[in-house]
Parts: sequence; structure tokens; C-alpha cells
Amino acid sequence: MKNIRNFSIIAHIDHGKSTLADRFIQLCGSVSDREFKDQLLDNMDIERERGITIKSQTICLPYQAADGREYVLNLVDTPGHVDFSYEVSRALAACEGALLLVDAAQGIEAQTLANLYLAMENDLEVIPVINKIDLPAAEPEKVALEIEEDLGLEAERIQLCSAKTGKGVPELLEAIVKFLPPPEGDPDQPLQAMIFDAQYDSFRGTIISCKVANGQVKAGDQITFYSNGISHKVEEVGHFRFKKEPAKALAAGEVGYIIAGIKNIADAQVGDTITLKDNPCAKPLPGYQPAKQVVFSSIYPVSTEDYEDLARAMEKLTLNDASLTFQKDSSSALGFGFRCGFLGLLHLEVVQERLEREFGLSLILTVPSVNYHVYLNDSTMVEVDNPAYYPDPGSIQRVEEPYIKATIMIPERYMGAVMNLCMERRGVNSNHHYPMPGRIEYTCELPLSEVIYDFYDRLKSLTQGYGSFDYEILDYRAGDLVKMDLLVNGERVDALSQLVHRDNARARGLSACEKLKDEIPRHMFKIAIQAGIGGNIVARTTVSAMRKDVLAKCYGGDITRKRKLLEKQKAGKKKMKTVGNVEIPQSAFLAVLKSDEK
Amino acid sequence: MEQNIGPVAGPAGLYVHIPFCLGKCSYCAFVSWPCRRPPAGYPAALLSQARQLAALPWSRQRCFTTIFIGGGTPTMYPAAVLNELLAELRQLFAISPAAEISLEANPDTLRPELLAELRRGGFNRISLGVQSFTDELLQKIGRRHDAVGARQAVAWARQAGFANLNLDLIYGLPGQSRRQWAADLAVALELAPEHLAIYQLTPEEETPLGRAVAAGELVLPDQDLCAEFEQDARRSLLTAGYEHYEVANYCRPGYACRHNLNYWHNGSYLGLGAAAVSCLAGLRLMNVASPGRYRRLLAAGRAPYAEAEALGLAASFRETVIMGLRLRRGLRLAELEQRFALTPRHYYGTILDELIAQGLLVMDHERIALSERGFALANQVLHRLV
Repeated sequence: MKNIRNFSIIAHIDHGKSTLADRFIQLCGSVSDREFKDQLLDNMDIERERGITIKSQTICLPYQAADGREYVLNLVDTPGHVDFSYEVSRALAACEGALLLVDAAQGIEAQTLANLYLAMENDLEVIPVINKIDLPAAEPEKVALEIEEDLGLEAERIQLCSAKTGKGVPELLEAIVKFLPPPEGDPDQPLQAMIFDAQYDSFRGTIISCKVANGQVKAGDQITFYSNGISHKVEEVGHFRFKKEPAKALAAGEVGYIIAGIKNIADAQVGDTITLKDNPCAKPLPGYQPAKQVVFSSIYPVSTEDYEDLARAMEKLTLNDASLTFQKDSSSALGFGFRCGFLGLLHLEVVQERLEREFGLSLILTVPSVNYHVYLNDSTMVEVDNPAYYPDPGSIQRVEEPYIKATIMIPERYMGAVMNLCMERRGVNSNHHYPMPGRIEYTCELPLSEVIYDFYDRLKSLTQGYGSFDYEILDYRAGDLVKMDLLVNGERVDALSQLVHRDNARARGLSACEKLKDEIPRHMFKIAIQAGIGGNIVARTTVSAMRKDVLAKCYGGDITRKRKLLEKQKAGKKKMKTVGNVEIPQSAFLAVLKSDEK
Repeated sequence: MEQNIGPVAGPAGLYVHIPFCLGKCSYCAFVSWPCRRPPAGYPAALLSQARQLAALPWSRQRCFTTIFIGGGTPTMYPAAVLNELLAELRQLFAISPAAEISLEANPDTLRPELLAELRRGGFNRISLGVQSFTDELLQKIGRRHDAVGARQAVAWARQAGFANLNLDLIYGLPGQSRRQWAADLAVALELAPEHLAIYQLTPEEETPLGRAVAAGELVLPDQDLCAEFEQDARRSLLTAGYEHYEVANYCRPGYACRHNLNYWHNGSYLGLGAAAVSCLAGLRLMNVASPGRYRRLLAAGRAPYAEAEALGLAASFRETVIMGLRLRRGLRLAELEQRFALTPRHYYGTILDELIAQGLLVMDHERIALSERGFALANQVLHRLV
């Protein structure tokens, strides 16, 4: 156990976490060059394209240190987005130490801080690492000062490196061995292992990533999940080298995987404790919370015949994604589909992309919503996460909506713009302080519904990419909310309904109408687009009738090509949803929430 | 006009593609190669393919009623070469004595002597790509002639004895105003061509113009303005006595382009030259696009085809319907039934009723055609029938 180091890299997006991990893997020789792909740990296409990690990955690095001894370095990779902060906290709980990676040009960001706090809560030893020192704009001295003075971390531990060029990386590996403590734990106690990730493999079932805190686990053991009492027989345990490498047992202090013929990934909840059925531990490891969905949206196939395919795809997808929930839903405009719960907007987008890419489906997602608590006149409370099922306003006593505490880190000059944005989004109790010169940490309480769609995008564009954002759910608060419907040629499109604050209703209605106007192509007739609250129309626009749509010329040489163009036009129509006699493109359903660029 | 349209099964057209131009216009998506002098060996390759095709029993049973030499810019070659080509084709194929023999030309390549010689060689219809009479717009789309040159070319063609003359005009050019378009139309009418082809500029993806539009560097007139341009053209040409006989084509009575009518009837034709397409009673063959490869294949005694397509009966029926609806008079139901043993009524069912109810399509016991409104929105109808 003395020769094990379990650690994680915490960093803001783009500060070079994956590149550094790749460099470690190369230096420790656990992957041949042929197997090596850039950003190896991000193994989903979507992750690689977006450069973010969604699922945790773990890799075990054999390392011969300068003291001549063989060490095992377990790098536990963490998801890099605010939607997944619970998963991050569990991954960190599996470690004894962390590298705090800071970009030498950009300095400390909100997410860096948030993750550092998570690391501190889990009592991790932290090594500050200043990365990208090869950049012309790098100011390592300034960043080092920030780390020392503002974060209160020890200056002598600071490591300088460039993950891209490899400079400073060997020294960093030495520092890991030197400064980070080995795991503790008693191999003779009953088994206590914490699940920090689970993935589904179609041949082996659920593959659990876990850290053994006490005791040991081996093939043949009967294990039990603490939260739900479900038991399975262990088929295989092992370590994560480049491939999974079976081992005789996983003992206290070790990070590895367990395969136990688990068909349903939802049985293995992140944060849960695994123990032995015959010799259970007295109490679970601390920190378990069931996954909490905060954003809800319905997914419909564009073509109603694809419903069965969608149903199969959802089932397959949830094998691999325990935090996605879904149940049958139907809409008068869109037919049959599924109401889904997501950890956040990014999670929603990832699910949509995976369904479209991996299952070849063409989908419509309805306007994302949060979960509202609606108190009725008879003082019962109903939870509503779908505006289509919003109760009759006459029967409602009050409505409460979830609030978050947003933490935004920005260079001073963007303060005004960010304050305006938060005020626009009904922010209250704002506060700010200067954690370091020239930088502001701005906190504000906001209704979750106001940030789920494009808040982060807007923040990034307002601050030219310098603003960073983190949030935590606070509580439910009363709000003067009304349901806004959108009508296309007089027909209410239930999938476009949303709950808005009464004061913003007119402006939101107008913006939604304008957005729809841009999205709906011209038809052969005029289309009226209206926003209404109750029976009152609060905004209206018109898509004027199409006047011309004809291929200019067509002679012998291009009959085939022109025919194919028409066939393409025909196929394009299939990707639209017909509501009444109006064809609405897929993109329109999410576009209505987008705010105007100002 | 009707009497010009021959029976569909019997006659055929002959197309010759000359894929060379002095320069490439920014909107051009046709197969054409810019060069100062066209390759001397190309006409011989055309004749090799002509001999291959002429040897087919299919060709020997056909009477060719139209010949069209298009491009590119056929008049890049001297008149003697084109006349020789025509003479050889007359030797190889049965060409009707009353055949319409068209030649496409760009004003920048024309001289009075050349035109006179071509007329003497047997060409009886000439099509001039003038596109616009507004110099500023001509420059913007990379044309190499000006309005004076275009007028001059028309005058020379008339002097040479061309009594059947077409002008190509384009609207929807970058920055074009309705006043400029009205002026273009006025000049065109003053020149009194027998035939006018009036196109909306299409920004094709693979052209410099298309890329500039996609990148937002160039803004073309919007749909509403283009609809106005189209109406302006229609109004002034109908008033001047022209017939609007196809989506993009107008003619004086009796001067519809017979060669193109055969395409819209989805008839049979042979295509000679790089990228040319032949259609032999439903079998469509496309020649290779590269003139060099075309020459090499033929020199080696091989067939120059790159692609072939043979549609099934129903697909062929649909294609014939969408092509035929481009014509103002549409299609004769009896003729369709005779060719395909299918009728639109049975084949399309309720789609047809919807389109008729929307006022886009008209059908009586004799014909099916686009309505006046359907003419401007043709794709909205055609994509449902394709």
C-alpha cells in the first residue's frame, strides 16, 4: 500500500488536463505508440470533439521513481463540467491527492476553485501545477503568486510544466510520489469499497470503477450494494492498465474494477458502498447521494414510425448512463415520446447527440424545463416538470421554483455586463469580492430555469471567454410564474409551452415568436406565430408566404441531378414536424429558449 | 407550338458538348475548362463517339430532328471546324431536312465572318449568352463581354441570316435593382429575339459565387425581389407577344426550342462530348467529364461512359411527370398512359387532390399542368411528385 498513489487532476476546461494525462501515460510506458491516441482518456466521440470529459476514466500507471522503487500511480480522471459536480466529488473521494492544474496564461477560474474546495472537503493533499508555460502569454510568476496568496497553497510545492511539450512532466511524477500520501485502510476489516463510476459493456455487463477503502474483494465473493441491498457474485476484479488487467484481488487502498454480471447499471450508483454479503461492514462510506435530475425535456422521433426505435435506443443508452431517467410521454403536436430527466443542459445535449449519432435517429427535443412545485388550493403539492401538464391556473395557490447559487469568476472589466445578465435572469442577493487583484468572484442567486438554456453561452460571449461559472442547487422559492403557449396558425403547440415570470412574459413571448419566425421556412401560405398567456395574445409575428421556389434550368445533361435535388428536398421535409398544416424544423423546438444576442 | 412537338417514341435529338471557354464565369457549374485555344484533337474524339453511337441499331432506326452544339463556348473553334463536324454528323445519322440546328455562342468570341460561315454551314438557330445588358453586373459575375458587344453580336447574327435567335438573360444578380432589370428587358425586347431564356441566378455550392454567398461575402436579391423580377419579365414579355412556354423559357409563337422540348418530354437523345448525357429510350449514359480522358478512351477504341442509369417504369414515369410539368401546357394524359400504362390520377392518388386543392396544379380530362401560381412554386409541387 505504501507504493500506491491515488490522485486526480482538477482543472478548468481547456487548462490541459487531458493532455497532461496523455503525457503521463506515454512517460510511464503503459501504452504503445500505436495504441496512443491524443486525449486518450476521453474515449467517447462526443467527448473528444468537445474536448471535455463526461464519463470518468481511470488509468493505472506503473512508475519507477528516482528512489529506485516501483510505484503504482492511479490517475482517476474526473468529469469536467458543472453538470457533473457530484460525480467529481465521488471521484475525488477515491483519491488521497490531487494535482491542481492552472493555465499559466489564464490563472485561476471559478471551476478550479470549486473543484479545489471539493478536494479540500475530501482531505486531499494538493500539488499546484502551472501548465502551458510554453505559451507566449504565460505568466507563471504571477499565477504562482495567486496560488500562494489567494489559495493559500504552499509555494515550494508548485510545479511548472508544459503538458504539450512534455517539459517539467518527469519532475511532476516525482512530486506525486514525494508529496502525495499513500492510501490508508485496513485489509483485515470487512469490505468497504466506493463506486465512483460504472460503465456498461455489452459482453460483460456493468463494469464498476471503485476504490477499496477497507478489506478486500476477489472473484467468487458475493458483494452487496449498501443503498439497495442488491447482491451479485464477483466474476473478475482487476486494474485499469491501457486495457483491463485481471488481478487476484483488490485490497484496501487499491483502485480498480469489478465485474459481477450486473445487467442493470442503475443498480451500481455512483457514491454507493460495496461490501460483502456474508461479512458486511457496519456502516457505509460517507457522501452517497442518489443521482438528481434537474433539467427535463421530452424527446420525440421526428417521424412517428420511429417511436419503437427510439424506445430501444433509450433502453440501450441508459445501460451506459445511470443518471438519465425516462418515462413515456405523449404530445398532441408530436405524438409519442419520452420525458427525460438530465443532470444539466450539457447532459441533455450529450444524450441527444448520442441518440442521433449512435442510433441514427432524427429527434425533436422540447423546451427544457426544471421541476416546479405547484401548490394547489386544496394545499396539496404537485411536482410539474412538463409545462404541458401545468394545472389550471385557477386551481393554483402558488408555485415554487428551484434556485441556484451561481459563482462566476471574471476579470474586473466584465463586472457590469455580468451583473446585467444576472439581473435580466432574475438574479437576487448578488455579492462580489476580489479573491485576487483584477479578478472578481461574483455570486448570485438565480432561478434554475433562467440558467438552464443558454446562460453559460451568453456568459462566455459577454466575457469573451474569460468568465467561468459554477453552481449549486439552493432551495425552492415562490415565483409569479405563468404558462406561456405558442400558437402556430392558431394551433397551440404543446411542446413549445414554457413557464415564465409574469414580468418577462411579453418580452419572452416576442423573442420566442421571432425565433420561431427565423426557424420556420416559408410555406405557400402566410403563417401567424403568436405567444399567449391564458387567452391573451402577448406577442405575434408572421412568416410571409413563399413566392418563388423553382429550379432555374433543366436540360438533358442535368435531368438526373435536378431529380436528385428534388428528392433531397422531399427527404428534407421528412425531418420536419407537421403541426396543423405547418412544417416545423427540429431546431425550432430548442431555439425558442435562446435569448437574443445583444 | 404544338405542331413542333414530334411523337415521343420516334424522333431523337443530338447534343454535342464543347467544354471550353475563354474564362470561367464565377457562377458557372457546368463542365467547362478555361483555355486560350481549345484542343485540336477534341473534335476528332467527338466524331469517334459519334461513329460508335451511329453503329447502334437503336440510332439507325431513329430520325434526328434537332442538333444542338452547346458548351462551354463552341465558337472557341473556327467556323470551319464546327461546319465540318456538322457535315460529318449528317453523314453518320439520319438528320431530318427540317432539323433545328442550334449553336450556343458567347458574344466575346463572335465575328461577322464567323457567323456568316456558320449560317452557310447549316446552323439555323443561334443562342447568345448575353446574361445582362448592364456592364456593372456583367463584370460582377465575371463575364468577358459588355452590353455594346452583346448588341453587336445580335446585329451580326441577324446580318449573317440567323432568323431564329435566342438570348439568355439572368436575374437575381448581386446588387441588381428592379430598374436595372427593367432596362435589361427593354433592350432585349428592342433586339426582338425569337426566343428568350430567363433564369434566376443559382449560387451553386461548388462555384466561387456560391462560396462567396455561403460565406456571407456576397448578398443576392432575396426571394421577394426575385419574385418581382420574374413577374416583371413575365409581364413585359407577354405584353410583347411572347409565350411563356417553360419555367424559364419564352418564345414567339412557333419558336419554342425543339431540342429542349425533347428533354422536357423526357425523350431520347444522344450526347457527344465530355460530360454529355445520352438517353436511349430510358437508358441514360453519362460521358466522363474530363476532355482528356474522353479523348484517351475514344482513341483506345473504348466507350467513354462514366455513369449509367436505368430507371424502373414507375421512377421513369415520375421523372417524366416532373420534367413535363416544367412546360406551361404540361403533359397529355393519353400520351403518359400510352408510354407507361400509368395515369397520374391512379399513381399519385390523394397527393394530386391536395396539390389541386392548393391551387398549384390543374388537371382536366386531357392534360395535367402547373397553375399560374404553381409555375413560380414549381419545386413545391415537383418534390411531392418526384
